[in-house]
Amino acid sequence: MVSIKKLSFGYNKKQRLFDQLDLELAPGNIYGLLGKNGAGKTTLLRIISGLVFPRSGACTVSGYASSDRLPSVLQDIYLLPEEYHLPALRIDSYVSVNAPFYNRFDHDKFSWLLGEFQLHPKNMLNQLSYGQKKKFLLAFGLSTNSRLMLMDEPTNGLDIPSKSQFRRVIAASISEEQVLVISTHQVRDLESLIDPVIIIDGGKIIFNQSVEHISRHLLFEPVKEGGRALYAEETFGGYAGILPNTSGKETRLDLELLFNGVTANSKEINQVFEN
Amino acid sequence: METNNLFNFKRLLLLMRRQIFSSAKSLLIAFGGMAGTLLIISLLVAYFNPPALSGMVPLYFVVMFIGGYVFTSNIYFELHQVQRSYSYLTLPVSLTERLVSAWLITGPLFAVFSLLAMLLIGLAGNLVMQLLNGTMPFNLVIFTGSLKTIGIYLVTQSVFLLGAVYFRKNNFLKTLLALFLVSLALNIYSGLVGWGLFRSLSGDMVMMEGQVVIAPLENLMTKVLPAVFKFIFWYLTIPFFLVTTWFSLKERQV
Repeated sequence: MVSIKKLSFGYNKKQRLFDQLDLELAPGNIYGLLGKNGAGKTTLLRIISGLVFPRSGACTVSGYASSDRLPSVLQDIYLLPEEYHLPALRIDSYVSVNAPFYNRFDHDKFSWLLGEFQLHPKNMLNQLSYGQKKKFLLAFGLSTNSRLMLMDEPTNGLDIPSKSQFRRVIAASISEEQVLVISTHQVRDLESLIDPVIIIDGGKIIFNQSVEHISRHLLFEPVKEGGRALYAEETFGGYAGILPNTSGKETRLDLELLFNGVTANSKEINQVFEN
Repeated sequence: METNNLFNFKRLLLLMRRQIFSSAKSLLIAFGGMAGTLLIISLLVAYFNPPALSGMVPLYFVVMFIGGYVFTSNIYFELHQVQRSYSYLTLPVSLTERLVSAWLITGPLFAVFSLLAMLLIGLAGNLVMQLLNGTMPFNLVIFTGSLKTIGIYLVTQSVFLLGAVYFRKNNFLKTLLALFLVSLALNIYSGLVGWGLFRSLSGDMVMMEGQVVIAPLENLMTKVLPAVFKFIFWYLTIPFFLVTTWFSLKERQV
């Protein structure tokens, strides 16, 4: 659905944020896009949605260049940004003005999602809290039934019950035809949701594997100091490490540890997947 | 059903509705404020100096022009704020629809509504005077000549539409400044060209049968060029600025 080939981009000519970046996103997946601050997660989402244009290379959605912003393509894209402004309109007014642009907008689903998020159609959008605004945009986005949903730090500003509610709603709303890309640095919030995991660093995709592959090839378990781990970090009462899985047993994926491990030692960790 | 990626009339109407809806409150306040001020001034003039009421029309048009330019300059306000631009730029509408919608709202529709507001103000003045002393000082016939004025508004407004996309902040003032600088440069250039031409022509003028024969180049400057400029102003300005605005919109990024 999304194809990025040899993409280079920088906000100015001297500093390149991405250099020859390649990425393919297929339907039926909830991609977790992880990266340090300033790694380019938000920019990548903006490129995919056609908000900024690549300096070279190509980014296509359903075969069309995202930078062309064709209505047929935009109908299939919904971007939930980290920072947004909502007009001084009631929820129902906003929907009546914006929903007709999306051919597959599902009003019943929207009503259900509003109920889930305890929002009322008569609520004024500009009077909602940051978290409520995010929930509203999430409800609207999921109701558009766009095949490509891009979410930038969706759990930022959500309280603890809302984070689990978010996971539940996403799991219940996404179909096999859809692609969901969640950019986040709060990996613990979305650990159970995202699959595959994409890690971006230094302008390149340094890791792109499904959870099944990760579990098959890597072990996440306590290690002794000085042991032969691919990566280890100190935790309370010992060390948590990433080891090559040679025994065939499965351990619970620790996304934060994986992220730290890959950004520190991507070469050796990726080599495990090649063997 | 295949989606038309170039132009769809239904999408255009939806976009116009969305644009009007998003700024309805500020639009009503601005339009109401202007119309209300003019109404009060007109009623005062109608009461204290009835014959001068028809002379108010040029003021109405001045207010309409300035209001229209400011309105046009802000029509793409969503484009220039990152937190708003994502929803505008990812809205499933084509570039042409984004352009035509903004132009129709700030150009023809604004002009029609302004004209209606002026008529209503004039009628209100007449009504008040009819009730007070049985006179109707406001001559509605003067609006018959307003078509050309509306035309001038539509031509000049297209420049501000380009400024609305091109500049990120203070669009109205920056467009005015750009207009001033461009016209200054054009005046200096045409002045220099004219000076060069007429200086060389002065020696070529001849007397034939007691009359000065107008040199061909002078004829060009006094008759042909004004006609050309007139043609450019009325028929090429709007298409040129609309096409330029279209390309500016196409290149616009967050």
